[in-house]
Amino acid sequence: MSQVQSVPGVTPAKGSATIRRIGRRPLLSGLLLALAVLWTLPSLWALVTSLKQTPSIFKLPPVWIPAPFTIEQYVAIFSNDRSTDIGRALINSVVYAVVSTVLVILISALAAYPLARMKFPGRDVVFWSIVGSLMVPGVINIVPLYLLVYTLGWMSTYQALVVPQLASAFGVFFLRQFFLSLPSELEDAARIDGANSWDIFTRLLMPLSTAALGTLAILTFQWSWNDFTWPLIILNQQSMFTLPVALSLLQTAYSATSYGPIMAGAVVSALPLLLVFLLANRQIVEGVKLSGLKT
Amino acid sequence: MAKSISLPRRSALDWKAVVVPYLYLGPFLVLFLVFRVYPLLYGLYISVTNAQLGRMSTAIVGFQNYSALLSDPRFQTSVVNTATFTLEATIPVLGVPLLLAVVLNRGVALRTLLRSAFFFPFTLSVVTVGLIWAWLLDPLVGPITFYLNRVGIFPPPWLGDTHTAMPAIVLATVWSVTGYYMVIYLAALQDIPQQLLEAAALDGAGGWQSFWSVTFPLLRPVMLFVVIIHIIGALQVFGIIFVMTKGGPADATLSLVQYIYLIGFQGSFRLGPAAAMSWVLFVAIFVVSLIQFRVFRDQAEY
Repeated sequence: MSQVQSVPGVTPAKGSATIRRIGRRPLLSGLLLALAVLWTLPSLWALVTSLKQTPSIFKLPPVWIPAPFTIEQYVAIFSNDRSTDIGRALINSVVYAVVSTVLVILISALAAYPLARMKFPGRDVVFWSIVGSLMVPGVINIVPLYLLVYTLGWMSTYQALVVPQLASAFGVFFLRQFFLSLPSELEDAARIDGANSWDIFTRLLMPLSTAALGTLAILTFQWSWNDFTWPLIILNQQSMFTLPVALSLLQTAYSATSYGPIMAGAVVSALPLLLVFLLANRQIVEGVKLSGLKT
Repeated sequence: MAKSISLPRRSALDWKAVVVPYLYLGPFLVLFLVFRVYPLLYGLYISVTNAQLGRMSTAIVGFQNYSALLSDPRFQTSVVNTATFTLEATIPVLGVPLLLAVVLNRGVALRTLLRSAFFFPFTLSVVTVGLIWAWLLDPLVGPITFYLNRVGIFPPPWLGDTHTAMPAIVLATVWSVTGYYMVIYLAALQDIPQQLLEAAALDGAGGWQSFWSVTFPLLRPVMLFVVIIHIIGALQVFGIIFVMTKGGPADATLSLVQYIYLIGFQGSFRLGPAAAMSWVLFVAIFVVSLIQFRVFRDQAEY
């Protein structure tokens, strides 16, 4: 926009556009900035609390700059002497989120391919079953799934966390729609050159779909990383707790007002997604627009 | 003669055309049948039994679990609370993100940074959100109470008071989901044809006038979408309540899913009644989903 208004050949620096915008809408920009700061304060307060020594956490008026700055709250939650072990929970969460993400991508892509590119009997039944299941919220199935997992002898195991998540109707639907949007001319050409369906899938479709696969990966990672209800129900062994479960029980492990360790735990659980968010801001935002389909 | 030669070849091809797709679909279909379709039917069956964890034989009790709900005061409380939570959050969830999106879309300074500031809380788990707000709202040493006291407001102990506990949970929820709905609104705003706004400007419409007469009507389907997504999510509220109040004080924040959790997965693990409640919730959500489906269809027509 700024280029259009400026003299051809003279590109104004990015900063000057920002300054001009503030100049044009000082009130609106100022108001929104103030609101954004307000929106950031709760997260900031959690971070500040986690870096304080315990006495200064309870000081009034509230102290916004930790002095002296300390990491003792983090040391406390990573040591094993309390009844929750955040280090172990961190590992469990990483296993759950990473394994789920990789397998969901793989299984969904395999299933989406024939639904988008092949004609076969039963295709419409399969597709509409998948679409229909998008309208069934996960919470409805927790009782029967719990009994199923219990019968299989999977209580408090990684497979109980991961396997039920792998039937991702959203993943299949999302990738099928993306595959449909790709032109089929290249595939026709490859087929004439003697490529079979597996060649087309692995060498053509998958490489062309990295953006969609990346979006699905981020969404799946976020869902499993933050998943709470299912892990809470099927994990009854301390050593298998994921981060959200371990955090929700930190209140009982310490006392309800042990805000130092609790906020340190909150920061630890927020960091991985903050990192993903900083690296792939746009992809998350794009993905979120579509994720309304998952309920 | 030529016909009899080509026939087996064609049927061999047909055979392949049926099997190959199912080889790709196989892993997903097996998981889908075992962990999605079967539990749905199995859950319906459990809901008419007296299933309990550890009980050797379960008996079919008909609709007893459902009829028992009607006379269960805690179930009624949980229904009322869930409806209250859903309704109280609807206006802020509909309005605040829309306002933010409209202002952001008008080209203010530091757009990406501001958008990120509002979106970030959405990346947190409900547990983290609940823990942060429980600390902010601490009645003795929390900063919110302190600053309110400073300006002469002496609030009740938030999560410890039956009148303020639910609004506090709504506040925490709105804080965390605003960025999500804002992004959905932003996408919709960017889809509005620029020509329409230019035409309105040519006809002499001012900023707010063109918003009310052009932008707002075009946003209505998205607003409906946001409301429905919000309702479906809000009817299932659990994690944030589990962390902030455990359903208290005096059941003032006991939600439907929290009650399902208490009945089915605590104490004597009464899975039959829990499954029945799940189905009641499912029917409620399904009705909302049907409306959503119609909205999508109407949008497609439009």
